[in-house]
Amino acid sequence: MSLLRAQRARVLLAGMLTMAVVMAGCTGRASAPPGAQAAAGAQTTASQEEVLIGVTGPLTGDSAEYGKIWRRGFDLALEEINAAGGVQGRPLNYVFEDTQSDPKQTPAVAQKFVSDPRIVAVIGDFSSPASMAASPIYQRAGLVQLGITNSHPDFTKTGDYIWSNSGSQEDDAPALAVLAVQDLGKKRLAVLHMNTDWGQTSADLFIEKAESLGAEIVLREAYLLTEKDFRPVLTKAREANPDALILISYYNDGALIAQQIPAVGLDVTVVASGSTYSPQFLALGGEAVEGVYTNTRFHPSDPRPEAQEFVRKYKEKYGTEPDTFAAVAYDGMKILATVLNEVGIDRKALRDGLEKAENLQTITHGTTSFGPDRRLRNPRYIRLVVRNGAFEVWEP
Amino acid sequence: MLDQLINGLVVGNLYALTAVGITQIYGVAGVINFAHGSIYMIGAFVGWMAVTWFGLPLLPALVVVLAASALLGLLVERVAIRPFGGAGRTVLLLSTIAAGLILEQAAQLIWGPETKAFHTPFADVRFRVGGGSVSTLDLLILAVGLSTALVIWLFLKRSRLGWAVRATAQDREAALQMGVDVNRVSRVSFAMAGALAGVSGLLVGLYYHSVYHTMGSSASLKGFTAALLGGLGNIPGAFLGAYLLGTTEALGVAWLGSTWRDLIGIALLIGVLLFRPNGLLAAARALLPEPTAGTFIPIGRPLPIPRWALLAAGAAALALPLAVRNGYWLQVLSTAWIFGLLAISLNLITGTTGQVSLGHAGFLALGAYASAILTTRLQVPFAVALVVSPVIAAAIGVLLCYPALRLRGQYLAVATIGLGQGIALVALNWPALTRGPLGISNIAPPSFFGYEITSAAGFYWLTLVLLIGGIWMAERLSGSYLGRALRAVREDEVAARAYGVGLERYKSIAFGLSAFLAAFAGVLLAHSYTYIAPDTFTQALSLQVLTMVVLGGLDNTIGVVVGALALISIPESARFLAEYRFLVYGLLLLLMLRFRPRGLLSAAS
Repeated sequence: MSLLRAQRARVLLAGMLTMAVVMAGCTGRASAPPGAQAAAGAQTTASQEEVLIGVTGPLTGDSAEYGKIWRRGFDLALEEINAAGGVQGRPLNYVFEDTQSDPKQTPAVAQKFVSDPRIVAVIGDFSSPASMAASPIYQRAGLVQLGITNSHPDFTKTGDYIWSNSGSQEDDAPALAVLAVQDLGKKRLAVLHMNTDWGQTSADLFIEKAESLGAEIVLREAYLLTEKDFRPVLTKAREANPDALILISYYNDGALIAQQIPAVGLDVTVVASGSTYSPQFLALGGEAVEGVYTNTRFHPSDPRPEAQEFVRKYKEKYGTEPDTFAAVAYDGMKILATVLNEVGIDRKALRDGLEKAENLQTITHGTTSFGPDRRLRNPRYIRLVVRNGAFEVWEP
Repeated sequence: MLDQLINGLVVGNLYALTAVGITQIYGVAGVINFAHGSIYMIGAFVGWMAVTWFGLPLLPALVVVLAASALLGLLVERVAIRPFGGAGRTVLLLSTIAAGLILEQAAQLIWGPETKAFHTPFADVRFRVGGGSVSTLDLLILAVGLSTALVIWLFLKRSRLGWAVRATAQDREAALQMGVDVNRVSRVSFAMAGALAGVSGLLVGLYYHSVYHTMGSSASLKGFTAALLGGLGNIPGAFLGAYLLGTTEALGVAWLGSTWRDLIGIALLIGVLLFRPNGLLAAARALLPEPTAGTFIPIGRPLPIPRWALLAAGAAALALPLAVRNGYWLQVLSTAWIFGLLAISLNLITGTTGQVSLGHAGFLALGAYASAILTTRLQVPFAVALVVSPVIAAAIGVLLCYPALRLRGQYLAVATIGLGQGIALVALNWPALTRGPLGISNIAPPSFFGYEITSAAGFYWLTLVLLIGGIWMAERLSGSYLGRALRAVREDEVAARAYGVGLERYKSIAFGLSAFLAAFAGVLLAHSYTYIAPDTFTQALSLQVLTMVVLGGLDNTIGVVVGALALISIPESARFLAEYRFLVYGLLLLLMLRFRPRGLLSAAS
């Protein structure tokens, strides 16, 4: 009996200890802001303190590989920025908080960034639910959230502090339709698209443009992000007798579909959205992706010196060619650095500066500026085809 | 039609490989091994290394994978099964989940998160069949599936060790008394299932030409479904289930579209289990799949917490925002309170009524979508939506769950995985109501009588007040006739029925009340995120809530709230660990399960 009681007391103690640890954690952090503010006050006098960008994105979980590619893009951009004197004479750096791209975790990270006076802007998050769950917090606090992969049509609509340098579906999808219908002369299209906000909006826009160019959509099929077995859908596509198969896909699923096309006896031209443009698409797809057409806003053979410089440095540092995710990460960091350098280290000034900035140098959009929808203007497209295991520029 | 049947058989082949391993483990250890998918994934990686780094041909690579994954199976048995022997199956379920998580995180750290290309190390020849084709790899997969099944069957029927395995499966204690070394039996079967998982990972990796660290989870879910369809523990049943699942999915995809695949699988599973609750090939006189009393869930006694301490803790929590101005911690705590509410609601099902639910995210989604649709489409004020949405969610929740309530134990658990995912899939496939994959954005923040709650402190108070309401409701329920009736269902279904407690009726009440409470959390979530989409409500979220409940202490309202607080704030406090964060989380979970299997705030009764 007494043994039992002792045991119970120990348990109670353990429970209380846990509580205490948790509470201590709370109060410990809670008392941070005044201290941090004091530190920030000290910072402004000591101008060599780092200027920080908060990054919210996946380092673990299902989307971890994208967070890793982002980091490469950021690191490369920072090397150049800091070698050129940083922003306003102070070194620029970033804090990467892992959210697993999980909407449960992004609001907390947002609160953390918002209450940290050293942070002047935020980049991220990866998926739409994760990014948009945090947007209201950034908007209310007046801290710029720059989405580098957020093409969701509603993403920038939360408010005037929410910006994006990712491609807009309103430009990308019609350009793909021009490639398929006008340049390649295809008239009977079967469209397969990922069933996400991006995939569905892109498919709608693509079909609208393709039909206006005189093509017929013989099949439209959505598939889930987790889908692996495409044989049933491809069999259906074969029965619809198309002359081109349109893939609105990322590179992993795009390569998977391409591999299963011969298995069902389907023999058509494949045109894939620009998001398949990645060395991974070639590695995963192997021979199956030979002859796939795509278009992209970024290609290593882009003759502009900035682009060439980016590709060279990226290959030197990481031993592989950069893809679009690396390019948008690099661009995002560069855009923030450029504007901060012009307007000074201030959250509000940065927002106003983004609106006014002209001639922003980017890899994905060339020389550009933000439009009234807070997305980059002037997209340019390069047509590509896979030949001998590499993306080649293709001219009609 | 013929082509689609062939497509179904080809993918059924892949499902069969996983299902055989899962079913075999269940037959022996009586536990659904959630780490199976992770061993499968590591098997694929080991095979990939053997082929692409060391240039081994397929056969030696297969041998390497067999050995490595058998060892891994042994390791999982040693770390996640044996130490938890007497702790009940819910704890085993969670300990295998934790082991799986650790393996998955470790794989990500070792091999990196990006998908690896894995091309067949031999010339793959295609044979035309109908309009499509079948390849040598398809035939190889079929051959491996059949031959392993034959080997296992011969082993179980002909060898002495096989007899021991079957004896242990029938009655562990009796086998022990007859001199069977049950630990050895357990080791052997985990090594075998591990080897099988690894080989199937390798073959499926080759089939899709890719390996990646999360490949195990979806594969194992299909494997569970196939194994359940055929009847757990039944090897020919696993084959039948796998081919049935594959062909039904293929035909369904051809008819409805690819996004319906998983819903079709879920509907097939629940439909079959309704008529044959133990699966297609289970013998009519098979033993009950679960013991009727006591041992499925170990319930501890809540530690006595004096009333004044609770009141003081509540008052301190309420006063916290006055002292703490840090928005970050208020946000973390608000999330913890929302999940506390969710944990209380799951506790009604799992703690009080003794039914394991792995699909609680579905109830959360019902509440969130109901409120989002009401406020954005019909312009209903937040205060009204807050009251109406839980009622809607409870009604839909009961309707959906009612057919599944005849199932017991682990069968119900897997059916709830299906229901939880099914709700998210319906949201995805019904764009007219839910905007499908676009999700619902611009949901207004909570507001009462024109006053909007946008500050971190205001939101903290709102969530805390609702949480306290939830605690009060759960405590009242616990002491009432209803609470006692639900506990009677948990303790002994036969006895409960004998005393006039209708099982399905009371289980429905429990699921309905649980959906009602979970929907409050859903409403809060929707109006806090202001954007919800089907992938906000994931399977991982359901598992997390169950972990909170088990960790806090089953049937212990205050305990599960503490569990939620711990599981939300620990990963947040561990941010400095970066990529190692969820590896450490998995280890902590395993340790807590080992040393406090009845929960943080409960003692052995």
